[in-house]
Formats: sequence, structure tokens, C-alpha cells
Amino acid sequence: MRKAAAVLLLAVLATGLALALAPIPFGQDKIVVANHYIRNGVRETGATNLVTSVVLDYRALDTLGEVTILFVAAVGVGVIFFAERPPRRRPRQAASVIVVTGSRVLFPLILLFGVYVFLHGHLTPGGGFQGGAVIASGVLLLYLARREQTLHREALGVAESLGGLVFVGIGLLGLAISGTFLSNFLAKGQPNLLLSAGVIPIIYTAVGVKVGAELARIIGDLVERE
Amino acid sequence: MDLLGQSVYYVGAVALLLIGFYMVLVKANLIKIMLGISFLDTGVHVLLIAIGYVRGRTAPILSEAMRTSAGGGSPEVVDPVPQALVLTAIVIGIGVLALGLSIAVRVYEHYGTLDAREIRGLRC
Amino acid sequence: MLIAPLLIAIPLAAAFLAPLVRLVSRRAVRFIPPVALLANLVLGVLLVPRALAEPIVVSIGGWRPPFCINLVVGPLGILLAVLTSLVGLLIAVYAVTYIRKEPSDRYHMLFLLLVTGATGAVLTGDIFNLFVFFEILCMASYALTAYRRDKGGTEAGFKYLVQGTVGSTLILIAIALVYGRFGTLNMADIADRVASVDSMSLFVILALFLVGFGVEAAIFPLNAWLPDAHSSAPASISAILSAIAIKVGVYAMARTTYTLFDTPGLWGFLCAIGVVTLVVGEVSAYRQREDVKRMLAYSSIGQIGLIVFAFGLATADGAFGGLFQLVNHALAKALLFLAVGYMIYKVGSKRLASLEGLGREMPVTCLACAVATFSLVGLPPFAGFMSKLSIVYAAVATDRPLVFALVVIVLAATVVEGGYFFRLIQTLYFRKRPNPRPVGEAPLSGLIPVVVLGVLIVVIGLFPQVLTPILRGGADELFHRADYVRYVLGAP
Repeated sequence: MRKAAAVLLLAVLATGLALALAPIPFGQDKIVVANHYIRNGVRETGATNLVTSVVLDYRALDTLGEVTILFVAAVGVGVIFFAERPPRRRPRQAASVIVVTGSRVLFPLILLFGVYVFLHGHLTPGGGFQGGAVIASGVLLLYLARREQTLHREALGVAESLGGLVFVGIGLLGLAISGTFLSNFLAKGQPNLLLSAGVIPIIYTAVGVKVGAELARIIGDLVERE
Repeated sequence: MDLLGQSVYYVGAVALLLIGFYMVLVKANLIKIMLGISFLDTGVHVLLIAIGYVRGRTAPILSEAMRTSAGGGSPEVVDPVPQALVLTAIVIGIGVLALGLSIAVRVYEHYGTLDAREIRGLRC
Repeated sequence: MLIAPLLIAIPLAAAFLAPLVRLVSRRAVRFIPPVALLANLVLGVLLVPRALAEPIVVSIGGWRPPFCINLVVGPLGILLAVLTSLVGLLIAVYAVTYIRKEPSDRYHMLFLLLVTGATGAVLTGDIFNLFVFFEILCMASYALTAYRRDKGGTEAGFKYLVQGTVGSTLILIAIALVYGRFGTLNMADIADRVASVDSMSLFVILALFLVGFGVEAAIFPLNAWLPDAHSSAPASISAILSAIAIKVGVYAMARTTYTLFDTPGLWGFLCAIGVVTLVVGEVSAYRQREDVKRMLAYSSIGQIGLIVFAFGLATADGAFGGLFQLVNHALAKALLFLAVGYMIYKVGSKRLASLEGLGREMPVTCLACAVATFSLVGLPPFAGFMSKLSIVYAAVATDRPLVFALVVIVLAATVVEGGYFFRLIQTLYFRKRPNPRPVGEAPLSGLIPVVVLGVLIVVIGLFPQVLTPILRGGADELFHRADYVRYVLGAP
């Protein structure tokens, strides 16, 4: 009965979507507002990665909201998993030699790669979120190698807060300096250089650190429960 | 149908969405419901990216080797905005998934089961 | 121009700052929300005169709309933002002593983020930005509903999360279709281009938006999550959810239907859904004799139905009534949840029967409850009388027989509402306490918000002209689409 109703609803939804997608043929040039970003992006923001110029300049408020959502998730998981007494740790089978040794070799490389991704967010595909996720995957590798691994929670929490405050702070600085919130008030520099695109690399670094710390904390909360 | 060939990405995205909705509506296992949400997220992301695609153009990262259109020199790239939207949407999806799974773990601790039909402590 | 972004930036920065404050002093964290929200309230009130004269359009990032995200601080936005800051402030004061269960510092962070999400959602002029702030609001709600980590809270939190996420996915699909069809995400730009889009696309997109936002707004049949969530959450969270969170859903529904897509033709459907929601809510509340918070939650569903009915009339008068009812419900329901919160805490049970005779022992709290219930039922001289009257007036003014029939049902539902609220008053005042163990009045931080809200309800009831200009401005802003487009994009 329930399945029948669900299938009926889904048929209605599918029809609606098909009808709505019909006037937007795949591959057709339907760009309107984005033409401005494509034509003027490098000149106006200094970033050669146009997606970054959209994410951190034209639509920076969305990114601030995105950073906040991740913060809500991390704090929320911390609340849900909060334990009044530290949980008992069950003994686990130790990881194999390959994993343990491999993680020691790979972890610094993964960290380096993550930093590379968020530092170069304005030049190559990537950015703060991607870099932070890579860093957090390195932390996950550490846990896979050694289950009893613990993280320095306080330090991660401070990194998280500072990352978020830097982002909002730059926004407020923009408000103070040029009268608009989240404006790109530093010099654009020459495109394709690491030090270009104004505040964008700074924000992405802050975001990278924040997201890395945040996701690492969530992983830590999930793993260290039992 | 040629329509299918043209819009396989749309069809794929909608299929993912339908699978996701089905799982959320019908399945009783809490983890399967969260998996359904994951399907929904992926479906929406593919839909957004597919909507932004323009035939014959490349990724919106500018370089010297980039082709520009004949008159005016505007780079031939796909729409960067849906990619920015998907970036945000992926992060939102992760947040919801993390929160949902952690609440599911807590529910399991209280009720001893992951079957939604048996988790009915709150009734009128 | 400079102040408006601060309304979002201040609670956000305060939430990011809280973990650092926690390192210094755990106990100091619970004072951060009241301070931040007081600042927000003051700034918001300062903006009211300018926002009423002409909507303040703030471009974020220094580019011109539609190439940037912009805030539109008009009468509607500033009304809801100030309401959020005011109710948020009072609830934050209440939470200073009410939240004892650890980790309380994280509760306060999440609360600030919830308010940030609500404020951002009502002030933004970009549809995807609306979605992002809406998600902040929703996710903070999911986490706070499950805050107590008990059986009921986790179950309610999970159901809320799943249903809310389905709704959010529908909203995101709608945004994808909007971008594909319109090529822009700026609300004024969308409103400008509506004429060039075929009505089938508009229908599908609007349907997705209404269902998606309708989950959070808790209209029938999307409201299954609400009774569980509002009754299992801590009282302060039930208050903010009923007062503010569900109203953001209604705001988004109204904004997309009227300002964006200009579809007054939906009045029949929206009015019907509103009345069905109203009836389902009020009847369920009446039948709820056990759990008093659940009764209040069903009452919220009913009131949302009434608000949606008023907005559904598709006239400026209807929106005026809807906004008025929205404000009054926010004040009264917040008061009720806060008051009941300490009552339940003192007697140790959520059962209505265990609250017998508290009128004598918790006089201030119960008196405030009485004021709130009279206002919600619609008795003069309380605020609720004026708002219900304006809704009925707007409905009659539409001159449609279907609406007349629905108004009769609305009035009948009000009688039902009176029934269960009278039952509450009767329990509080006209019964003796069975167990003579003394129960003191709520602490000061629990009394101040309740008293302030009660006073506001009386003041608005006696002097509605304090509120009517901004309500009228908000209602007009919803329908004067050409002006909205002009303010944001400049003259064509």
C-alpha cells in the first residue's frame, strides 16, 4: 500500500521534472548572468579559476553560509555524541603492517596535497573545502592505522573558530574599507600568480584550515565513541 | 529515442532522485533512509551540473591555451555558477548526512533497533 | 547600507567566537547570545524608519545586482528580522538558567546559528542564498531538537531531519530548474523575467518550492514531524521553533508565490490547504489531553494554517492579516512554551493533569499564560483579536463564495481552540493541587521573557497602530513586484 502510493507520487514527480526540463535542452547555451562572470571574472577578481571567483567574490555570502553549515554540523555532531562519562574502549584488532607504515609515509604527503589544493584555489581546480576534505581524509587514515589515536580537540576547536572568524573578519574589514560587506579590497595583482586575486587566497586558506579541522573533529567524534 | 541520447545526464540525475525518494519513503531501516538521502543529494548535484553544461566548451579555468569565441574574445567555458552551487550543496549534504547518521546511532542506543516501524515512542 | 549586513554578521561572529570564549570561561558562553541578539535588536529597530520609507538594497561584495548577492531590507524583511531578534533575545535570556544539561555551550552556539539562519533567510534577495540560510536554520533545528539525547528527542530529531531534508532537496531541484530556465538567481531578476517563461515550467517550479518550504512551514500533509519535535525539544527550542522557524517557511512560500512568480491564481488551493491545516491542528490539539507541549505543538500547526489561509487570499489585506497573525502567534506561542517549560520543570511531568492548581503557586507565569491564551483565541483587548479580525475582514472583502464558506470553518475552529485553551486555564486556576508539596515561582531569567512578551501582547492589543504601518508596508512589498524589481535592479 505504502509502496503503491510512493510509486504514484514518484511518477507524478518524474513527469513534472520531465516537463520542466524539456525547455532546457542539454548542452544548449543558456547562460545569462554568468556571461558577465566569464567575460570579466579575471579582470574584476584576479582569479583565473572562474568557479572560485564566483564562490569567493561574486557570491561570497553563499560561501560564508556554507562554512556556517559545516560548523553547525560539527557542533551538532558534538552535541549528539556528547558523553557525560568517557566511553569504554573495546580492544580492537591491530591494523596490518602495510597500513601502519603506509599511513606514516602518506599522511604528510596527503597533508601537503591538501594545503596545495586550498592555496591554489584561485588558480587551479580546488579550493578551501576540497583541501580541507583532503586533510581530513589524512586524519581518517591515521585512525585506520591506529584505532586508539586521539586528536588534540582543543587545538582543532581553536583552529575552527579562528578560520571562521578570519572569514567574517575579512568581510567586516571590507565593510569598513570599501563600504560593502565581503568586498575584495586587496590588490588583484597579476593573474596566474600565487599572490594574486586580493583576499581570495587568504579566505580560502582560512576555509581550508577550518574545514580540515572541522571534518577531522567530526571523524574523531564518530571514531572515538567506542 | 534521440531524446534519451541527448539528455542521458538529465535522465540519470532524475533516476537518482527517484531512487532516493523511493528509499526515503518506503524503506524502514534508518541507515537505508540516510542512504536514500545520499542518493537525493547526488541526483541534485548531477542535475545542477548537467544544466550548466554547454556543448563544445571546456572547464571554467582560464589559461593561455583557452579558445575564445570569434567576436569579442569571450572564453569558451561552461557555466561556472552551477559548479559553485554544487560546491555549496555538497557541503550541505555532508553536514546533513553527518548529523543524521549520528542521531541514528543514538536512536539505536535507545531503542535497540534500526527499524523505523518499531521506533514509535512518541504517539498521541 | 552599512548596518544591514551586521544583522547577519553579528550573531554569526558571536557563534564563531563562542568556542574561544569557552576556553576562557565555560560559564560565560551563555551570556553571548543575549548580548549579540540585543545588539541585533537595537540595530534592527534603528533601520525600521529607513526600511519603511524605501527598501534598503545592500549589495554584497561590491558588484551590482544581478551579478552579486544582495540583501533587500524592506518592511517585510525588517519586520521579520526584528521579530526574530526580539523573540530570540528573550528566549536567550530564558536559556541562561533553563539549559542545565551539558554541553550547554554548544546549545548556545547552535541557538545563535539558528537565529542567524532565520535572519539571513528573510533579508536576502537571492534565491540560492535563501536556501543556504534556510539550511542553516533547519540544521540547527535538527541538532537542537535532539539536544537532550533522550528517547523522544532523538526519535523526533531524526524524523524532523529526514522530512526536512526531503523538503530541502525539492527546494534545490526547484532552484536548479530556475537557473536553467531563467539564467539568474537574483529574486528581482527572476521577477522581471517571469513573463518570458512558459507556465508549465513555472507551475512545476512553484509546486516544488511550495512543497519544499511547506515541510518547514508545517502545512498539511507535511507536518508529521512537528508534534514530535516541538514536544520533545527543550522548552526554549520549542519556543523558537514555533515562533520563528516555521514562520520562515511561510515567508519563503509567500515570497516565491507572490513576489517572484506572481501567481495570485493559486488562492483557492492555498486557502483550502490553510483551512485543512487549521482544522487538523486545532482538532488534534483538542484531543490531546495528556502532553501539554504536544497540545501546544498542534496549536502551532493550526495557527500556521490560519496564517497560510490569510496569505492565500492573494490580496494585500490578506497578507496584512497574515503578517499580523504571524507576529501575534510568535509572541504568544513563545510565551506559552517558555512558561510551560518552567512549570514542567517544577512539577517534573509533561502531563496536563500534573499542572493543576499552579495558578496559585506560580502566579506570574500563569497570568502570562492566561494573557497568551486569550490573545491566541482572539479575545479583545489582546493582540490576537485585532489580527483575527483583520483576517476575517480581508476574507470577506474578497467577495468569493468559497472564501465565505472557509471563513465559517475558521470561526468554528476558533471555538475548538477556545475549548482546549480553556481546559488549560481551568487546570491552572480552577483545580486544587493534589500534592501539597510547595513549588516556587520560576527564577528571574525565566520570568523576565514571559512578562515582557505578555506586556507586548497587551500593548499591541490596545495600540495596534504601533504595528500597522510596518505590517501594511510588508504586505505591500509582497505584491508590488514592479517596485521590488525597480529598487533592486534600478529603473529599466
